[in-house]
Amino acid sequence: MIFDATVEGRTIRVEVRGGGGRYSLSLDASPLEVDLVPIGRHFASLLVAGESHEVGIEKRPEGFVVHFPGDAVSVDLAEAARGVSAPVRRAHGPASLTAPMPGRVVRVLEAPGAEVAAGQGLVVIEAMKMENELKSPRAGRVLEVAVREGQAVEAGALLALVG
Amino acid sequence: MSAHAFRKVLVANRGEIAVRVIRACREMGILSVAVFSEKDRAALHVRLADEALPIGPAPSRESYLRIDRVLDAARASGAEAVHPGYGFLAENAAFARACEEAGIVFIGPRSETIALMGEKTSARREAVAAGVPVVPGMLEPLADEGEIAREAERIGYPVMLKAAAGGGGKGLRLVASPAELRPALARARSEAGGAFGDERVYLEKAIVRPRHVEIQVLADHHGHAVHLFERECSIQRRHQKVIEESPSPLLTPGLRERMGELAVALVKRTGYVNAGTLEFLVDEGRDPWFLEMNTRLQVEHPVTEMVTGIDVVKAQIRIAQGEPLAFRQEDLRQRGHSIECRVYAEDPDAGFLPSPGTILALRVPSGPGVRDDSGVYEGWTVPIDYDPLLSKLSVWAESRDEAVRRMRRAVAEYRVVGIKTTLPLFERVLAHPAFAAGDYDTSFLDTALAAGKTRRGREVEIAVAAAAIRAYEERRAARLSPVAGPAAASAWGAAGRREAHGRRLGSQG
Repeated sequence: MIFDATVEGRTIRVEVRGGGGRYSLSLDASPLEVDLVPIGRHFASLLVAGESHEVGIEKRPEGFVVHFPGDAVSVDLAEAARGVSAPVRRAHGPASLTAPMPGRVVRVLEAPGAEVAAGQGLVVIEAMKMENELKSPRAGRVLEVAVREGQAVEAGALLALVG
Repeated sequence: MSAHAFRKVLVANRGEIAVRVIRACREMGILSVAVFSEKDRAALHVRLADEALPIGPAPSRESYLRIDRVLDAARASGAEAVHPGYGFLAENAAFARACEEAGIVFIGPRSETIALMGEKTSARREAVAAGVPVVPGMLEPLADEGEIAREAERIGYPVMLKAAAGGGGKGLRLVASPAELRPALARARSEAGGAFGDERVYLEKAIVRPRHVEIQVLADHHGHAVHLFERECSIQRRHQKVIEESPSPLLTPGLRERMGELAVALVKRTGYVNAGTLEFLVDEGRDPWFLEMNTRLQVEHPVTEMVTGIDVVKAQIRIAQGEPLAFRQEDLRQRGHSIECRVYAEDPDAGFLPSPGTILALRVPSGPGVRDDSGVYEGWTVPIDYDPLLSKLSVWAESRDEAVRRMRRAVAEYRVVGIKTTLPLFERVLAHPAFAAGDYDTSFLDTALAAGKTRRGREVEIAVAAAAIRAYEERRAARLSPVAGPAAASAWGAAGRREAHGRRLGSQG
């Protein structure tokens, strides 16, 4: 099975073969033999060339987040064999501001139509006793404000659209 | 005051500190009563307590901050005493007074002492009277903007604007020049009003490159007072502590002794009873300046417990029971070294943005010299309504160097999957040469964060391999067997099917 793995802005072609805990991988054509045992649903033990690695694994819509002791690495995956390409982030067009965590909208700082600079505060969300000012992802005009003051929002909810 | 052992204690708090107090009660043979909001029905403190009573909806002002409901719970359960933990009602003089009037022992100082030391400028006046050096500045809050500006000129810029009722970094503003005073004053007042219901502010000289060092004290009802040495708390973000240690690498034996004596002098002058902490700033010339007193148990008390061998929470309960302190100053020693890391549900790579949510998987470190004071568990959903502190990871070792190595080992074992935490930050701090040398001040964390992180190429390779193998197994399982059954190729394949199935059900509903 062949995947395109996007990690830290670069795409690696990954081929996986094998099963039952023993896998032969190639990462951009360089081979990697991996012994992997799942530890519950969210951990895995990997033996790679004699090195022992234990990682946490969290499923995301685009792929997985893999947790190391001091770090977490986000890996977006697309199955190349089915012709589905890795998601490409649009560099142009309207940019959306989404809630990075669940919380309550305390203040809406800019109304639709307002001209804003990149990094200018648009919406203030309160979570865990702290107010967090969420900033415009780009310079432009506020096209839409999707929330009202006092409203509760979930993580990932659209707050505003700037174009 | 005659000693009387408590039979039952109500814990007026939640999270890790409620768990900590419940554990002390259990070991002392005291029944514990938890209180909980609607969000906290399944919280760890409720699960561990002997009894538990609901006190209202999720917002803390309608539950954990409701003096009447907490007291009703105490009366209904027949608790003879209330432990307030820290935060919420812990430094609320009105709550302590309400307990006193209801004939319920408040495990902490007398309500008059809380009022006296809780108002920051009256605490400064008491310190001056006890001969304790205070940061140069005002001894009374001022309302008039012109007067504040003249006072700032007199003290000399840079100055700190502080809330008179303050704490926790709220209403705190560094003002570098006269032009910044006016807007800073407006923000500080509005923040202080919002946080404490009291807009009054005062000014202090800003100490450049300060170290934050505090002294733990214990005093009983029989006139005995001791200090349990210092805690070094200079690793902070937004004026809130993230890593603490004891002993402080900065203090000389002479300075340690002097600060301890100053602390005990202030305790004796104010007739302080129970556990408390005096916070000092230590400047570049190693001169200590009294900042404020916290009239409660401190979050970072474990490091003191580990180096002194004194259980601070049990000492609090024994003092409240009327017992005299079981040790004198000359009995107390600092042995070895202890470090604490605060595991917050915050993303250190996104400006410490809160990260509430469900803890999908949790692995807690153990082994020699490791202690984890946690308020959470695997499967628990960290609510958005309260403080983001999940747990406090502490270590003890014979030397500072060994303690740092032990903490790095423990941090590497600690895994939280599902929400972002401050764990990844600790390795960066602990591995930093300035931290290893003990040479850091309160600006350290910002500097360490600005330096960014280094990611090894090997981690990326392992991450890609782990993710690709999991995706491969999930897809194989889905193709082999469209319904869950014994043909499941692996735990992950089955898990993938369940997740896919769940999503389908979700989208239909």
